[in-house]
Amino acid sequence: MAENPETDDTIETTKQNQSEEEVEHSDEQKQEDELRSLLLSDIGDLPLSPPSATQVNFVSYFITDFTKPGHDQYIYRHANGLCVIGLAPTHIAFKDEGGITNIDFNVGKSDRSVLKVSGKRKKNAMRSESNTALCKVSTAKDSYIVRCCVKGSLLEVNERLIKQPQLLNSSADREGYIAIIMPTRPADWTKNKESLITLEEYKAKKEVSL
Amino acid sequence: MADETKPASGDSAGLSNGLVSHGDHKSRRVYQAARSLHSGAVKDLLSLGVCERCIFRLVSVEAFDSDLSSVSASTLRSWLESGDEEAASSEESSCCIVCLGVLQFVFSDAKQTLVRSECGSDYAARVTDLVKEEGHEFDSFGLEVYVPATILENERAVLLYLKGKYNSESWLQSEKISVKDALKVLVLDPLKVSLGAKSDSSSFQIRLTYSKASDEAQGASETTRERKKRKTDEENGSTSMSENSFEKVYEPCILSIHCNKMPIFFSGRYFKYSRNVSQTRWIIDDERMGEASVEELIGGNILPACLGDSYKFHAAGREDIDSSIIQVRMLGSGRPFLIEVQNSRKCPSQQSLTEIEEKINKSEKKLVGVKDLKFIGSQCWAMMREGEAEKQKQYAAIVWIARPVEEKDIDSISSLKELKILQKTPVRVLHRRSPLERERTIHWMKVEKIKGSSHYFLLHLCTQAGTYIKEFVHGDLGRTTPSMGSILGCRAEIIQLDVTDVKMGDS
Repeated sequence: MAENPETDDTIETTKQNQSEEEVEHSDEQKQEDELRSLLLSDIGDLPLSPPSATQVNFVSYFITDFTKPGHDQYIYRHANGLCVIGLAPTHIAFKDEGGITNIDFNVGKSDRSVLKVSGKRKKNAMRSESNTALCKVSTAKDSYIVRCCVKGSLLEVNERLIKQPQLLNSSADREGYIAIIMPTRPADWTKNKESLITLEEYKAKKEVSL
Repeated sequence: MADETKPASGDSAGLSNGLVSHGDHKSRRVYQAARSLHSGAVKDLLSLGVCERCIFRLVSVEAFDSDLSSVSASTLRSWLESGDEEAASSEESSCCIVCLGVLQFVFSDAKQTLVRSECGSDYAARVTDLVKEEGHEFDSFGLEVYVPATILENERAVLLYLKGKYNSESWLQSEKISVKDALKVLVLDPLKVSLGAKSDSSSFQIRLTYSKASDEAQGASETTRERKKRKTDEENGSTSMSENSFEKVYEPCILSIHCNKMPIFFSGRYFKYSRNVSQTRWIIDDERMGEASVEELIGGNILPACLGDSYKFHAAGREDIDSSIIQVRMLGSGRPFLIEVQNSRKCPSQQSLTEIEEKINKSEKKLVGVKDLKFIGSQCWAMMREGEAEKQKQYAAIVWIARPVEEKDIDSISSLKELKILQKTPVRVLHRRSPLERERTIHWMKVEKIKGSSHYFLLHLCTQAGTYIKEFVHGDLGRTTPSMGSILGCRAEIIQLDVTDVKMGDS
């Protein structure tokens, strides 16, 4: 078992390089650890199911039996005043077999889905009253008119629904939203609000757990 | 108070009659110029009440000269009047009906005291005192002079009168230097001497503003009717101006001095440690939102060191109040910013800036950190512009998903490079921004599991400037695609977001 000095040397150097790399690596590691502990320091206990972005950023309002029985809609109002409109879970359209199969924005005098609102001042936005028709949703059985519920400017309709109406069935409260309306004056919203009910009241009324 | 019989310029050793027959070339030239003026016009103007230097301005053919500054008004008067080198006017001249005392070096100060100066250097000394009160440090200055509009009207009236009497004279045809420019010619050099500074179109301006003492007493501005009459008279070629037209009361102007320094800039990078600190002052209905602002924590420390009037904060980008900008052992570059200070009186040294930086970094409440604070010149805007465009930003987000995180999720996310996403203007800013669809790039992502939780993970990502991260995670009602949720096929929410790095160009 003769010792080979050359190999020994090489082994020595490799060991040295390795430990240098290790030092570098552990420096990086330290930084990563420090970053991670900084990042995680504020959160406290992570709840099993945190509130959703909608719940955090919006106040939920509902209107039930709007112009016709069973026509229940939600109005999610953001802190900046914008209102997201959609179908509440108890809307009668969902009761039909097969759910909603089609949506048509061409109601009233114009096709709501071809609006081109532009600029900070939201030029060309359609003015809406609370009972202005927004769209028509159809099931195998029947079709139902959805209305604006809010007086203001119609900024956007969810045109994804045209190709994917099933979003209304699967997530009417998120990806299946129908439109975004900006109330033009604070006074308009205050007046509007009188005909709306809160989430608690809605739950109580419909005896539904959401 | 200089002796009225001597010219203020020094050089008249031994001669008691105000004459400098040899020695002072300047005064000699002025004397000769005075003698060469049209004597009829001079006499008329003197009796109307026009001051000596205005007479030079209006009647002389030669250019108005700074030499006039060193000869006292009374000496000038004696040279204009009789040419008698011995006589000297001993009355105090009344306020000029054209320049209202401006070229006579007479004004009212803030306390309404009348201030008279014999010559340009005396006047400059008074102005210097007032400038010093403003407290600026400077080695060069620009001079601005503002005079009331009535001076122009007074001048027009006198010229009209002169045209009426001496229409064909050649000296009347040349362009006359304005009162404003004449004052600058007279006082610029003496000011340079008494302020000890150079003159240039520099970043430090001294503004001399003359204003009417009172409305009635200034040969008050023309009424519309008077103006119409004057214009028609001019057109008709008739001049109704006579010596009687000038019988109003004239009072010297009030002089106020204002010094202004152009804004100076400081650059640096900041870190934000608190989730309750907004970037800029945020006040709604008189109530402050958040605990403090980055702008005030930094600007509020720099402003006093500059003895400035106010400051403006500019940053290359912004983050939400509830996001922090992380600093790990001085890594992470922080967000670039500029502080612009208006009307600073002094420019703090780099040493002072370093001390300010330390003070902010060592403060008890660790809200904000600063690095690389330094003075920066006119290239600051180019720096900000290039920063805005090029920067990539790195973030760390805490994400929750509706189902447990699996290894394949970690792999599928990390494998996405240069992912293009389309973001419609987020609902949370849609009220104040244009409804647009913006394409953005997520350069890379990395997932780290969090101990003790199967639904949460740490997401590190590097994105193009202008990407809305929160919306990329929760999808913003499907208006950002793809989103974390759509990639993983389930609902995703963002719990916390921090900026870990802001790269600018090569830095």
